[in-house]
Amino acid sequence: MNPLDSDTPGADPVAIIRFLALVLLGALIGGVAALCAVGFVAAVLALNDVLLMSPRSRMMFGHDEWLMIATVTVPAIGGLIVGLLHRGIPERRPHTPADVIAAVQTREGRLPARAGLISAISALLSLGSGASVGQYGPLVHMGATLGSLSARLLRLGRSDDNITIACGAAAAIATAFNAPLAGIVFAHEVMLRHYALRAFAPVAAAAIVGHVIATNVLERGALFHITDTAVPRPWEFAVFVAIGAGGALVAGAYMRSVLSTARLASHLPLPAVCRPALAGAILGLVALWVPDILGMGQETLRFATIAGAFDPLELVVVLVLKILATALCLGMGFAGGVFSPALVIGTLFGALCGSLVGTMTGAPPDTFIFYAVCGMVAVTAPVIGAPLTSLLIVFELTGSYVLTTAALASVTLASPIAAQLFGRSLFDVQLAARGLDLSAGRSYAVLHVTPIREYLTRDCVTLSPDQTVDEAISILGESGHGEGYLVSDSGHYLGTVSLIALEACRHDGSTDRSLETCTAGNRPTLTPETSLGDAMEQMRDVSGEAIAVVDDRTHHTFLGVVYETDIARAYLQRSDELRREEYGSS
Amino acid sequence: MAAVDPRSAILAMICLVWTAGHTVADDDRTLTVLSWGGSYERAQQQALFEPFSEATGIEVEVDRYDGGIDRLRQAAERNDIAWDVIDMTQSDALAACNEGLLQPLDESIAAPSPDGTPMAQDFIDGALTRCSLSHTVYATVIAYRRDAFPGTRPTRIADLFDQQRFPGPRALQRSPAANLEWALLSYGVPREELYRLLSTDRGLNLALQRLESLQDVHWWEGGDEPVDMLVNGEAVMASGYNGRFFDAMVSREAPIDILWDGQVQEHETWVIPRDSDNPELAREFIRFATDTERLAAFARHIPYGPARHSAATQVTTHHDSGRDMRLHIPTHPLNARRAITKDHDWYARTLDRVNERFRQRLLEPTSSSSQSP
Repeated sequence: MNPLDSDTPGADPVAIIRFLALVLLGALIGGVAALCAVGFVAAVLALNDVLLMSPRSRMMFGHDEWLMIATVTVPAIGGLIVGLLHRGIPERRPHTPADVIAAVQTREGRLPARAGLISAISALLSLGSGASVGQYGPLVHMGATLGSLSARLLRLGRSDDNITIACGAAAAIATAFNAPLAGIVFAHEVMLRHYALRAFAPVAAAAIVGHVIATNVLERGALFHITDTAVPRPWEFAVFVAIGAGGALVAGAYMRSVLSTARLASHLPLPAVCRPALAGAILGLVALWVPDILGMGQETLRFATIAGAFDPLELVVVLVLKILATALCLGMGFAGGVFSPALVIGTLFGALCGSLVGTMTGAPPDTFIFYAVCGMVAVTAPVIGAPLTSLLIVFELTGSYVLTTAALASVTLASPIAAQLFGRSLFDVQLAARGLDLSAGRSYAVLHVTPIREYLTRDCVTLSPDQTVDEAISILGESGHGEGYLVSDSGHYLGTVSLIALEACRHDGSTDRSLETCTAGNRPTLTPETSLGDAMEQMRDVSGEAIAVVDDRTHHTFLGVVYETDIARAYLQRSDELRREEYGSS
Repeated sequence: MAAVDPRSAILAMICLVWTAGHTVADDDRTLTVLSWGGSYERAQQQALFEPFSEATGIEVEVDRYDGGIDRLRQAAERNDIAWDVIDMTQSDALAACNEGLLQPLDESIAAPSPDGTPMAQDFIDGALTRCSLSHTVYATVIAYRRDAFPGTRPTRIADLFDQQRFPGPRALQRSPAANLEWALLSYGVPREELYRLLSTDRGLNLALQRLESLQDVHWWEGGDEPVDMLVNGEAVMASGYNGRFFDAMVSREAPIDILWDGQVQEHETWVIPRDSDNPELAREFIRFATDTERLAAFARHIPYGPARHSAATQVTTHHDSGRDMRLHIPTHPLNARRAITKDHDWYARTLDRVNERFRQRLLEPTSSSSQSP
């Protein structure tokens, strides 16, 4: 019965070749996604230089008045172009990793190429014109779209589509951070949310290719630099855990700001096209005062790891402004990720904690960078819902085991607290707001996005209220069904009558009474959009043959029925597909 | 192929020298070179100028300067340029080129290597710019007195600023270059990010703060001053050019050592002034002075890394002392591990403003601790 039972490993040469081909495809996708990521990063840097958004170009340009003008106008004009670009996407918003997660978790796959391309270009412009957004989200989305596209070109099934999406995402992370392990874990932890061997090998191949390309093409300094071999004292680990708890709150504040700005922005009496431009202008004006909030904030991130680069008050100001600036940019419609700003915010928070400990103990600790990194992990892990990935990024970027264990201390509290107070990640909360609830796992999500429309049939007995009980019994008897559906002349659904109820009516002796009085009480109705999961829920209380489907619940126009056996069969089939995908080894 | 090339190259070289000797020697002209003084000039005399005169019969006159492009600019304004060739740092060359003070150069300026490798592949990356050709790589480094810190010695650039573990006066160049880089590096910043961070107000302030925190600093200007200060004990740690420190170690047997960590590498280039009277002669000289043999010979006199690979592999022992020079040139892998490549472009565009900040913060308020030249 179980289709897995027949899968003896190594028995089927065709399956093995197919699997090896999938690994090869993963490597190929990894290569393409990595090259695109390298190109994207280089293009952002070039745009930043040309548009006077990078500190180096600003310093070299030198003319203060022009710099002030550029600081305000470049993000504003960039925002305007971004706003115009988004008109080319059906949803009128850039696609993000949340869309990728939705596609994978519901097994829909098939990321749209056009929306993906426009989203990538608008993210490039957003980042290039100095908006306070991240670059890793767009890179992940771009990689995932490339993966999905290649699956479609090769006419692969949904399961393989999901795997190629994960390959693209893994390669993007592996390239951008030059951290292949983090890329692999990210694809599993955030995208797939299962650890099937069948998915692991192609994803690993993609990440390795991305890593090789990154080491040979991208020449970048380590994100963090550990010169001292300072080891934290035992009591400091308690502080790191506490930083984790605090970081969860900062992460919550950051995510809530992003979401509520988006809600507020939709009420603004301003066309959606102009919103990013307004956000850009505001950002530029504030940046004249605090330039640290502009762009991805790599310089700010670096300074936050240096004890004494900011005084505590400055840290608070920059921290709050960075949260607000990012919420403003993302909420008002700039395209970009949430991860890079979270890195900056978290590091600033960690630096603040380090400074406070410094004032209490009398001198800034030699382990200052540990505080900064703990804060960083404590904020980023909850935001992207990936504690393991965040830890691995720290490990692969620094190569420091001590630092990774410190980060582990902080993430142990950060992730669960944020998950309790807020949700698994910003992506999941965004998806929940769009009606996709991933909190109960993948099988739940799959069942709740599949509408029952495809199981809808008109192959059923419809009865008119004018017919008598006897007539109804004989019609049902001839058709071999146990239930009939009472539909008025105008097509409205009036109720379900079962053979048993009709027999009962006949025994009462009132054979000429209206059929309407013989309908079974409280039979639910469905609409074509009702999900398979909801239909299953309805079946909990109903024992019958089928459930009537109406166009909507106010007009009650009868469309047909869905047989309960079909629902059960569909449920089993979906579960089976998931099990195959998650536990099948080849 | 490989068997023919060296021979034809040598033949070409002989022809070149022969024709050069004939075409130019007749005119009885002199070549005027503007270059740096000291042991650097001595090495150039021995390895470049004298052989050039021997080969061509042209006298080489040397005028001495301390870098910068002010003199060239003034001479150009007066329309009275006395030099045929100038030995410039690459950042000065870039700035001068941007101001239109120099003649453009192309690949034909240099000879191929003896085995026929074209100059574009034989020279190190970034050697040929629009107006300059790099011939050697020198480094600004920290040197220290071996006897100043009993039982320990500085190993990292951060030790320059650690006057508790390494007490004593410092001697630093009266210029932001290298000082700012080291100051920021001492915070644990990766070298790849130095100039990006120095471009922010915060980064510049951090660097200046670190420099301000130093007690008892002598600010030097001429390249020989820090060597003297170290030798006569006025300073225990000093910045300076690696070649001059080497010279002091070898010929004066001074008890000093070089801290290679954080060395700031810079290219030394040949340029031709725009309104030079004799550009053909200048080109001839540059071609002669940047061939593999001459560069390798130059590195035997003074430990400047040759700017072409074929010459770097030929560097042998010191001309006078017989020391193995490969360990003393900045481009040796052991020394270059944490080298900073100076961002010429950045300095070319920001030097005036950065200088102003540097002057205001470090030189004006504490004139007591700085030594006027």
